Amino acid sequence: MHFEIMDYELPTNFDVVVVGTGIIESIISAAASRIGKTVLHVDSNNFYGGLSSSFNLESFLKLNIEKRKSICMEHSSLNDTETFFPINNSDFTLDEVTHQWNITNKNKNYSDEENSAQEDIIAKEICAKKWLKDDLLKESRKFNIDLTPKVQYARGDFIELLISSNIARYSEYRSITRVLTWFNNTLEVVPCSRSDIFANNKISIIEKRILMKFFTSLDDNEDLIIKDYASKTYKCFLTDKKLSKNLIHYILYAISNSTDSTLCLEGIGNTKKFLKSLGRFGKTPFLYSMFGSGDLPQEFCRLSAVFGSVFALDQPIHGLILEENSFKSILIGKQKIKAKNFVLGLNLTPDFFLNKVKKKFISRGVFITNKSIMDSDNEPLTLLLYPAENDKNPCTVLELPWLSSCCPKDTYLVHISCNQINNPEDDLKHCVKNLFTLNEDFKAFKPLIFYSSYFSIPTNSDENVNLHDFNNLFICPGPDSELDFVTAVSKAKELFLKMYPDDEFLPRAPDPEEIKWDGDEEPSDIAQ
Amino acid sequence: MIMDDYKFLFKVVLVGNAGVGKTCLVRRFTQGLFPPGQGATIGVDFMIKTVDVGSEKVKLQIWDTAGQERFRSITQSYYRSAHALILVYDISCQPTFDCLPDWLREIEEYASSKVLRVLVGNKIDREDREIPTVVGEEFAERHNMYFLETSAKESDNVERLFMQIAEDLMKQARSRDLPRYDSNTTTIDGKTSTISDFSCCSK
Ligand SMILES: Cc1cc2nc3c(=O)[nH]c(=O)nc-3n(C[C@H](O)[C@H](O)[C@H](O)COP(=O)(O)OP(=O)(O)OC[C@H]3O[C@@H](n4cnc5c(N)ncnc54)[C@H](O)[C@@H]3O)c2cc1C
Ligand SMILES: Nc1nc2c(ncn2[C@@H]2O[C@H](COP(=O)(O)OP(=O)(O)OP(=O)(O)O)[C@@H](O)[C@H]2O)c(=O)[nH]1
Ligand SMILES: [Mg+2]
Repeated sequence: MHFEIMDYELPTNFDVVVVGTGIIESIISAAASRIGKTVLHVDSNNFYGGLSSSFNLESFLKLNIEKRKSICMEHSSLNDTETFFPINNSDFTLDEVTHQWNITNKNKNYSDEENSAQEDIIAKEICAKKWLKDDLLKESRKFNIDLTPKVQYARGDFIELLISSNIARYSEYRSITRVLTWFNNTLEVVPCSRSDIFANNKISIIEKRILMKFFTSLDDNEDLIIKDYASKTYKCFLTDKKLSKNLIHYILYAISNSTDSTLCLEGIGNTKKFLKSLGRFGKTPFLYSMFGSGDLPQEFCRLSAVFGSVFALDQPIHGLILEENSFKSILIGKQKIKAKNFVLGLNLTPDFFLNKVKKKFISRGVFITNKSIMDSDNEPLTLLLYPAENDKNPCTVLELPWLSSCCPKDTYLVHISCNQINNPEDDLKHCVKNLFTLNEDFKAFKPLIFYSSYFSIPTNSDENVNLHDFNNLFICPGPDSELDFVTAVSKAKELFLKMYPDDEFLPRAPDPEEIKWDGDEEPSDIAQ
Repeated sequence: MIMDDYKFLFKVVLVGNAGVGKTCLVRRFTQGLFPPGQGATIGVDFMIKTVDVGSEKVKLQIWDTAGQERFRSITQSYYRSAHALILVYDISCQPTFDCLPDWLREIEEYASSKVLRVLVGNKIDREDREIPTVVGEEFAERHNMYFLETSAKESDNVERLFMQIAEDLMKQARSRDLPRYDSNTTTIDGKTSTISDFSCCSK
């Protein structure tokens, strides 16, 4: 029999249909497939990851933010007992995208300013390479620009899941070289390890002792802390511990990634998470996936496919059909596909379910620059936790060197994110101004911005989203503003266990060597 | 990457339309058999075979598409860090040949520009050939690829295909004095971490 790709029709009966390839949908897809359920996993985009995706420069510049068109349904294909829920949700997409180039296609920009030869030499020293817009565009493929950048704690739930499920083999990580904070109007390295602490010349010997003691004491007295500080802030706790201003800054804003209003127990939890993740893969507790955060959902999709899921991107997904009190099928193109359960990404959920959902946004900035925000001998991968300032939210700054496989050599790719107050540019203005320059200002030694982009990512941590009366519909929240995927993992697990309460969530997948081939039967040891 | 019994590990990925015989090629080479049934292969990610090239042990890690090619939905990450890429069509099925430019476009977009590319016309045991050898040859030449015709069923050229790839990759690795991972990045913090339970071994 001969096929042409176009001739294929989707099979029409599944245990689970997953719509959308964001991280939560992808984890659930892998989990369901892994326990032997038949899964159809579709997306209306022609790429994986939805709002967790990464793009090369060209695609990023062209990002399609067209609102989804409401697709009309021929109601003739429905019978009397069926109700159609169109998927035309246009709210949960990127918004307010802007692009700005600070370099041109001609060299003019540089040579015209001042013709002094000396200046030229300095310029050479400062940025090894002079980039033109076209040069960067030519290197488009070397960019992997995250919509929602994530770092992972080395012992966080996400990395533990990768290991326990054997998905880690699909990806490569780099450890974050250093964690920085913004303190007294300058960048400071946050001491991570014991040796860091002792090498740090910003804190006195006495402070060092206090800090070490503080870290080791966190596990003791837990009951007392719970009793005394249940409703107090972490800042209050740290102050009571008589820590110096310096130390409070490091611990509060960087190590525990907290704010002045973070409650004590949460702050302690975050601090422990940070400490626990030290020394596993590198000097800091954090890892970043090579080729961008957009690879992470794909790894789960690959596992899902390896265990038999059918994957189809770029699908015309019209809507769901309800019969009596549960969803029976989904309309994709001209096909009506039946399933027992439906898992939907928020961006592909019928509007009907989103009325009550509060929409919030993350303000995002993306910058291509010529050097690191803080000089270093090697090419560092930097996480800067920039504390709240005046009326601004704290910002997370992730600076990627080319070694991360996210940008070409001699450039840095910088991501800044914060919870939205006004609009991306306004929310990040202070941070951008303090870190970068737009002029070739040799004296300031700040990185020069070649290109910048701002946009808004819709986010939702609203629990209401699954408060509906349909027991076979599972709605996955969109991207969140956490540093890592810890919330995504717990949400995916929760939804999966709601769907299959008696099954194991992502048991370890066998290594190739362990697979026993029974003639041409399915390998028996992995079927259970 | 920590090497145990082998000195080189290469990742080889197969692409091409569904049904052209990718899985059969891999199983013929790694297991020496031609699966009679047609069932989709469940739970198999990649297969491994260690071969000798000269006096060196070379481990080939051979990845199959996991069925994601059927609806053109291969994850980009599938192509990442591939050292060689085998593009397969079925010599008895014109449409699988007609799709090659689409596959090439995808490869251009996602795979490394340095990846070793091989075009394979499979199923030469079949009587109903639709693509003459010379047509395949020309296509490969035009696109700078190696070319080979195979039969997974009769085991024609399968060994040769993978051994050729192993030898070529070895040559490349030698002439480049090994890729960058053991030169430039000497500091611990710049190193690629392979995540595994125990930090001493991997892959
Ligand atoms: C056979 C091979 C193995 C490699 N193994 C490593 C490695 O273990 N560690 C490492 O740091 N660099 C590795 N590299 C990367 C390599 O040293 C250079 O980064 C690459 O050749 C530079 O090419 P380019 O800058 O022109 O980028 P491109 O032409 O875009 O090529 C980069 C490609 O190299 C591969 N690659 C890049 N980084 C890695 C990586 N960390 N691991 C595996 N593959 C990678 C990817 O497929 C990527 O698409 C490897 C490259 C090759 C060809
Ligand atoms: N005659 C002949 N048939 C072959 C050969 N190789 C594979 N086939 C047959 O082609 C069909 C598809 O082979 P697979 O190896 O499953 O193809 P695939 O490319 O992996 O495609 P998927 O179905 O997507 O997994 C099977 O029926 C095989 O028996 C060959 O060399 N000669
Ligand atoms: Mg196959």
